[in-house]
Amino acid sequence: MTVDNTGESLLDLFIFETSQNIEQLEQIILQNEKTSQMSAEAINEIFRIMHTIKGSAAMMMFDNISTVAHRAEDLFDFIRKHIEDYIDYSDVPDLVLECLDFIRNELDKIKSGGTANGDGSDITAMVSQYLSQIKEISEQGSTGSQGEDAMTATLSVPASKVNSSLGGGEAYRAKVLFEEGCQMESLRAFDIINRLAAFASVVSCFPDDIMDNDDSAAVIREKGFEVVFKTNREYEKLNRFFAETIFLRSIELEILEANEYKMIITAQADKANAAALAQDSGGKEQTKGDSYKNQTPAPDNHNNAVATIINVNVAKLDKLMDLVGELVISEAMVIENPDLNGLELNNFDKATRQLHKITMELQDIVMSVRMVPLADVFQKMHRVVRDMSKKLDKEVRLEIIGEETEADKNIITHLSDPLMHLVRNSLDHGIESTAERLNSKKPKVGTITLEARNAGNDVLIIVKDDGEGLNKQKILAKAKENGLLKKDSSEMTDKEIYSLIFLPGFSTNEKITEYSGRGVGMDVVTKNISEVGGSVSIDSKEKIGTTITIKIPLTLAIVDGMNVRVGESTYTIPTISIKESFKPRKEDLVVDPDGNEMIMVRGQCYAINRLHQCFQVETAIKDFEQGIFVMAEQYEKTVCIFVDDLIGQQQVVVKALPAYIKNNHNVNGLSGCTLLGDGSISLILDVGWFVGSDLGA
Amino acid sequence: MSRVLIVDDAAFMRMAIRKVLEKNGFEIVAEAENGEVGIEKYLQYKPDIVTMDITMPEMSGIESLKQIKKYDANAKVVIVSAMGQEVLVREAIMSGAKSFIVKPYKEDHIIQTLNSVVASG
Amino acid sequence: MTKTIEEDLIEQQEDTQKGRFLTFPLGHESYGIEIRYVTEIIGIQPITQVPELPEYIKGIINLRGKIIPVMDARIRFRKPFMEYNDRTCVIVIDVNEVSIGLIVDSVSEVISIPDEDIVPTPSLQQLNNRYIKGIGKIGNEVKLLLDCEKILNEDEYNELTNLA
Repeated sequence: MTVDNTGESLLDLFIFETSQNIEQLEQIILQNEKTSQMSAEAINEIFRIMHTIKGSAAMMMFDNISTVAHRAEDLFDFIRKHIEDYIDYSDVPDLVLECLDFIRNELDKIKSGGTANGDGSDITAMVSQYLSQIKEISEQGSTGSQGEDAMTATLSVPASKVNSSLGGGEAYRAKVLFEEGCQMESLRAFDIINRLAAFASVVSCFPDDIMDNDDSAAVIREKGFEVVFKTNREYEKLNRFFAETIFLRSIELEILEANEYKMIITAQADKANAAALAQDSGGKEQTKGDSYKNQTPAPDNHNNAVATIINVNVAKLDKLMDLVGELVISEAMVIENPDLNGLELNNFDKATRQLHKITMELQDIVMSVRMVPLADVFQKMHRVVRDMSKKLDKEVRLEIIGEETEADKNIITHLSDPLMHLVRNSLDHGIESTAERLNSKKPKVGTITLEARNAGNDVLIIVKDDGEGLNKQKILAKAKENGLLKKDSSEMTDKEIYSLIFLPGFSTNEKITEYSGRGVGMDVVTKNISEVGGSVSIDSKEKIGTTITIKIPLTLAIVDGMNVRVGESTYTIPTISIKESFKPRKEDLVVDPDGNEMIMVRGQCYAINRLHQCFQVETAIKDFEQGIFVMAEQYEKTVCIFVDDLIGQQQVVVKALPAYIKNNHNVNGLSGCTLLGDGSISLILDVGWFVGSDLGA
Repeated sequence: MSRVLIVDDAAFMRMAIRKVLEKNGFEIVAEAENGEVGIEKYLQYKPDIVTMDITMPEMSGIESLKQIKKYDANAKVVIVSAMGQEVLVREAIMSGAKSFIVKPYKEDHIIQTLNSVVASG
Repeated sequence: MTKTIEEDLIEQQEDTQKGRFLTFPLGHESYGIEIRYVTEIIGIQPITQVPELPEYIKGIINLRGKIIPVMDARIRFRKPFMEYNDRTCVIVIDVNEVSIGLIVDSVSEVISIPDEDIVPTPSLQQLNNRYIKGIGKIGNEVKLLLDCEKILNEDEYNELTNLA
């Protein structure tokens, strides 16, 4: 019940960005798995992304996500600092993918309005354990490499800061207490020293190991931070300097007596000597991971491309589409206004032509805005192939062609599940085991190809595998078993036989695997695809492979349609499904013994559908010769629809049937509706239903 | 009203900081998603103060800080880091950052820090 | 996260609309619909028939570009059907973002009925009770208060939950 006037909320942005980050991470892992060593760029990128996720999740109080990301970040922090050590990282991809899956799961919960209550402690423990293991290995194996940040500077002050020119003036001791809870006290102390050194000679400070020792923060919290320095600056100015310290609780500034100052100087000198000796013998080691500068990842092209793209809320796009649709209708209402009948309006006509041109262009652009490349959906399949080939112990590679092909965003969301199922099927049943493949002299590694390309008003998506192909006999047998055989098998083409696997209730698998075989898979694919107005076909060659072709329309939103009339009602038939329209001759009409009406056209016989009967519409035109036939085709099946009259062809904006109707009733034969120029509603026919159905009412 | 430039590669973090700052009377004049763009925006908008994330692609926060300081020695940059990045924060301070904020930050911390930095000369 | 100001306002608005009902006559009875579900009231419009729908769903109409199904109240509540005339109205109700228009003879007025004056319906076997949330008493008149959610759901409640 949220009001979304303001657009994105912080939560939306968190979900969106974190999802993107996860996808990106997954891609990097999958790509890098192929090479045995992870590249430095990849490691850094992973580190950075986990770091970001950790931070954002913590801000949004999703601590379980933050903790998992944190642990992964720690792991990769270690890895990037020990990139020269040879450590076997082959377990890392699996670990990271598990972390990703956990985070993704939690994100899904959040997306659907639930709570992120998952327990990430198992995964966190696993990563921690792995990290300690490799730490051990690393310590044993290598000599002299540091574990964590090894600060080289011990310091009260880096030698460079002691500026002899500032040696004059008074000596002071300042004691600083910070506000409770301000955190990073040692850093704040360091900050003071740093700024102080600009105009003073800093002699010593307490605690003096603020750079190396994280515990010094605790000491500062308890006892405060003291610094001794010499400067020309006046007391007042010094006070003000200290007072500027952020989160300052109190400052005590006192002038030091000469002897006291001398004592401190001597003590410092001794310390410095001792330290110098130690350094020489120990061998300083500058940590590899000290400066992030060394680790800047190679420019990521991905990020560059993103900079020229903005993200838009899909709801806004839908609204935009709706508005443009209404603009098209309004424009028609103006141009075809009955008030203008019979008038000669040259200037007006010119103006309306221009208006029309602009409206059409606007429509084209808005539609193209909704177009999205198939790349995302395709890339998801990498993970599926990887996981399944591991589990099934088959070697399979995924080849992707034409992923830049675009389709409407709405349609693409419907594609993901069917594609996943088809790919899984290919992996499970198509590709043979490695042994079998070698036996049949096939290459050891199986190939699944995902290809997308444009074909007129449609987009073709092809899933091809070089597996064992489909077995006609098995399919026929199973179909018969499940009572799905409608025709005699000798009358069926190969394609028709293969298409049997799309029928609900079909499954040739003896056992139901985790991935397929329940007989509910393939028909869900066809259902999903036909919901977006697409179709699926299949072809295969035994021992060579199987090819499944999905055809989906470029866009759902606008359809070229032929308006027809039956009685007082108007219907729209998508032009793409119309083969021809004609007035029948009496001699072409045939009635079979069951009473089914059919018509002969150029030697072929087609079923007739009386639209007035089918939809129970009242009309005076019942006689075939008084009306007109529209021959419509889909799924390579044809039907002749009988209507009163053709009204005209036009581009229509498709609107869905109201939710109430769709939710509660099965309305067959309609794929939506549209508003005509005069404000009336025309129902859009679902040709697929007409060709698939039995005749008439 | 103080004018702020927010530099962070996570859009989420930028929005989070923006919300807090705008609520407390700061004006956000620009955002940047990496150090390089940060420099550009700094030169273009000349904000009163910059919040700079340390860990970013293309160019890190520290690099960017150094460049900005080169162009404008008086630039007021507040570095934003996560817990455990003390070494980097130290480097940032040595490179001229006026102060720092640790994520996840409390609202009053960030406001107090920014106000102090703006007030200082 | 905390509510936004807008959410707060909407909740407030809804609260002030609680207990207010739009009433309309049907046959001998008078019915009431909670005003918070009513988005508008319009005159009867040309209806486009949609095949295979139950008799009480007359079809769909075009409401300024939005396509809305219309339900005949008389048929739905098993009263004899009457032809539409100038006074016939369509009450557009919206429940959880699903809209329909209820075709009624006419509308009366909007009245307030406090909770104390609403009694539950006796549980008779008659079909009509399914859509009645309660009976409101105003003076010596009685209003049958409609349960909008039930009206929008089919008898097979399962269908809807499956689709959700």
